[in-house]
Amino acid sequence: MLKRLSNRSFHALLAVGLALAMVASASIGDFVFPLREMARFIGQAFHLIPLTTADTLDRNVFLQLRLPRVLLGTVTGAVLGVSGTLMQGLFRNPIVEPGLVGTSAGAALGAALVFVLGGKATLAFTAPLGSAAVPVFAFAGGFAATVLVYRVSRSFGKVNVFTLLLAGIAVNAVSSAGTGFLSYIARDPQARNITFWNLGTFTTADWRGAVIVTVTFAICYLLSVRYGKALNALMLGEDEATYTGLDPARFIWPLLVVNTLMVAMATAMVGVIAFIGLVVPHVLRLLKSSDYTFLIPGSALLGAMLMEIIDVVARLVIAPAELPIGIITAVVGAPVFLGILIRQQRRGGGAFYG
Amino acid sequence: MVELHDVSFTAGATPILHHVDAQFAPGRFNVILGPNGAGKSTLLKVATGTLKPSTGTVRYDNADAASWPPDVLARRRAVLSQHMELPFPLAVEDVVLMGRYPHYARTPARRDRDIVNQALELVGMADRRQQIYSTLSGGERQKTHLARVLAQIWAGDDASGPRYLFLDEPTASLDIHYQIHLLDVARGLLADGCTVVAVLHDLNIALRYGDTFVVLSGGTVACATDRRDAVSRELLEGVFRVRAHQIVDPIAGRTLWEFSL
Amino acid sequence: MTAVRSLRFIRRPVSAFALALIIAGCNRGNTGGGARVVCVSKQINEDLYAIGAENVLVARDLTSVYPEQIIKLQSVGYHRALNAEGIISMKPTLFLNDGNLGPDAVVEQVKKVGIPTLTLNPGNTMDSAQALIEALGNLFHREHQADSVVAAWKAGMDSVFADTAKWGQGHRPRVLIIHFGQIRNNYLALKRGGPADQMLHWAGADNAIDSAGGMSQLTPELIARAAPDIIIATEVGFDRYGSVEKFKTMPGIALTPAGQSNRIYRITEQKIMYFGPRTPAVVRELAGLVHQ
Repeated sequence: MLKRLSNRSFHALLAVGLALAMVASASIGDFVFPLREMARFIGQAFHLIPLTTADTLDRNVFLQLRLPRVLLGTVTGAVLGVSGTLMQGLFRNPIVEPGLVGTSAGAALGAALVFVLGGKATLAFTAPLGSAAVPVFAFAGGFAATVLVYRVSRSFGKVNVFTLLLAGIAVNAVSSAGTGFLSYIARDPQARNITFWNLGTFTTADWRGAVIVTVTFAICYLLSVRYGKALNALMLGEDEATYTGLDPARFIWPLLVVNTLMVAMATAMVGVIAFIGLVVPHVLRLLKSSDYTFLIPGSALLGAMLMEIIDVVARLVIAPAELPIGIITAVVGAPVFLGILIRQQRRGGGAFYG
Repeated sequence: MVELHDVSFTAGATPILHHVDAQFAPGRFNVILGPNGAGKSTLLKVATGTLKPSTGTVRYDNADAASWPPDVLARRRAVLSQHMELPFPLAVEDVVLMGRYPHYARTPARRDRDIVNQALELVGMADRRQQIYSTLSGGERQKTHLARVLAQIWAGDDASGPRYLFLDEPTASLDIHYQIHLLDVARGLLADGCTVVAVLHDLNIALRYGDTFVVLSGGTVACATDRRDAVSRELLEGVFRVRAHQIVDPIAGRTLWEFSL
Repeated sequence: MTAVRSLRFIRRPVSAFALALIIAGCNRGNTGGGARVVCVSKQINEDLYAIGAENVLVARDLTSVYPEQIIKLQSVGYHRALNAEGIISMKPTLFLNDGNLGPDAVVEQVKKVGIPTLTLNPGNTMDSAQALIEALGNLFHREHQADSVVAAWKAGMDSVFADTAKWGQGHRPRVLIIHFGQIRNNYLALKRGGPADQMLHWAGADNAIDSAGGMSQLTPELIARAAPDIIIATEVGFDRYGSVEKFKTMPGIALTPAGQSNRIYRITEQKIMYFGPRTPAVVRELAGLVHQ
């Protein structure tokens, strides 16, 4: 029945779901903020309502810790959702997403390099980059990983899915080894951070980080959303896409760059979170359509919504401690991944949805 | 009109085409024939502009193919390839709609949707338009793609002009019903002055549907003719390395070839 | 009107959400006056109990389990995997730690919402650990008790040092101290220089590991090269095996002199991983174990 909705209506439905998830995420946690209180705090933040001193602590927690966390989580979910969609379009395969292909792991390794070695003389060339060192290295790591996997998995112009997965495993393994080694040689404070990283967490969210990722996503999204039609044409193959007047080389590499940029930025802030990019486009295709002009905005909305729901669960399940996000996404995403793989096997590659 | 002049093509170190001259006229069903490995697909790909020839030129109506702006070319030239895969589920009408992509920027217009419907009617897939592509049989998939390429160069668009349709072994792995149906539809375009070029492997079908024949052997043109009888027994036996003899169908009076080793 | 302070008891998010929206003004109120301290350092927590200042505590970290009474307090999680909101939801007037916590950002986040935080580094020597107790005494107005605890501690150590010479004569066994890291669930060997190593030294034994500085991953090669006469394992790691027989199944252990003579002992980490008022007794206990 959902299939009959127009793209616009479907997106509107997702947007409503996202709004609800964001409100829930802003409200629930070790601190619970009722709606009225949230509204009041926001009003006070914009100086529309006079401050009340009795709830200074709650207000500070809400404005300084909770809200940036909601923003960071929302945007990260959108980044991963859109990234999964773009990569599936570029690689022409449903089993592709930044976690499996190694983009996130490569970005994490790049960032870890800066965290651990950045201060020392060994990596003095990060100094001129200043605080831009982390995103730059994260981007370089993510891009190197993606290009490697892309190159290795293509033969005769088609992407071989098993080569792709194996190459992704290899890249993930190398990155884990790298970050493992770095945490082994790291001085204490940095080592503690790296462990978190491999599992992803929004715990340390602050406004600066959240805004950086938001701006990056906004730019990357605007740059990529107009390629929906091109990715549709690409579904038939690069030659076919050429016949419709497109030049695949003209948009494949730019899209890969834009995709890697936003994934790297999010990973640098939050750590490695896998499977969102796999699950979100898959669900949208099942619910409605494979048209990329629908999928790209849809996956931003659904990815954000899913991430917020998961973040709430992460906060509640073993409160007051938190479960790393990556654990929940793996629990949800791995079965979906296996399901897709099995069905693809059965149909012998190519179209596999029923 | 599609003209190839002195075209050679080398892939890596392997020479595939040698000094090929060919003319494919509009309003005529141009057929490329030849044994496996003769270079038929390569010749077609050079003709469609997918591959750049190592030497020689490809011209569409007196303009170098490379000089045509890609978006204009996309509205005039369509190619039905041999192998088509679709990794994600799409409805038949969505696949056909892709043929209209060169004609609209963001959203398809009324006219685009009308053309999709007409194309589906023409190939006989109108009642299946909502069906998911992956559930179709091989023949139905091929018809869907035919509808798509027809929609791409549908007549009557922005100022009438020359149109080109290339078919690369479109009947391979289709049963006889679909083969005949597809070629009938393709021939239907000839009346509008479209240039149709097809690579066909079945000699009898090729001779039945074709008007002009380019026989390729070992990367060179063994024979280029618009007379059926110029495709002689000696030519066929030499090029295809078989023994051939002709029979005449007593009912329709058509010439058929019988082969043996 | 204040927010409902916490809903650790609510497991289902949906009902939690509904509850949050419905409860507009549940007022737990402020606990009447007085300090509310969240401390995530087991060393500092033990010291607070020693000087009788424990009633300021409202929450601890997962590994603070000595003395027994502290277990009644709410835990805010493992000290290397904290989150700011969990700490803040205890509405502390002070967040106390010893610098050994993670992730880094947590301290900043707690400060950001206006909660005073204090990091007291206990250092690696007995003098610095005693200074820590004095500092805590000053902080919580138990100077008198702090002084007497330190005095007793010093007297205890004087008595221990008097016996050290006796223990140190004759054979000095090689001892391997095995700890357990809960963040990555791995076993660690203590190197030279830390508090445990010093206590071992006073007890008349030597660390079987020759190098200094912190801890290193426990590997069969390490164990073989150390060839300890005695193994002492902290409780979390020992209890994962449950008994000496089972502990010997760890790769490399059974072949050591300690494994072959079953000289594997369990000790709680809070006794040996840092210096505290119990140190004199602990050194005696160690001396008893190694010189049997």
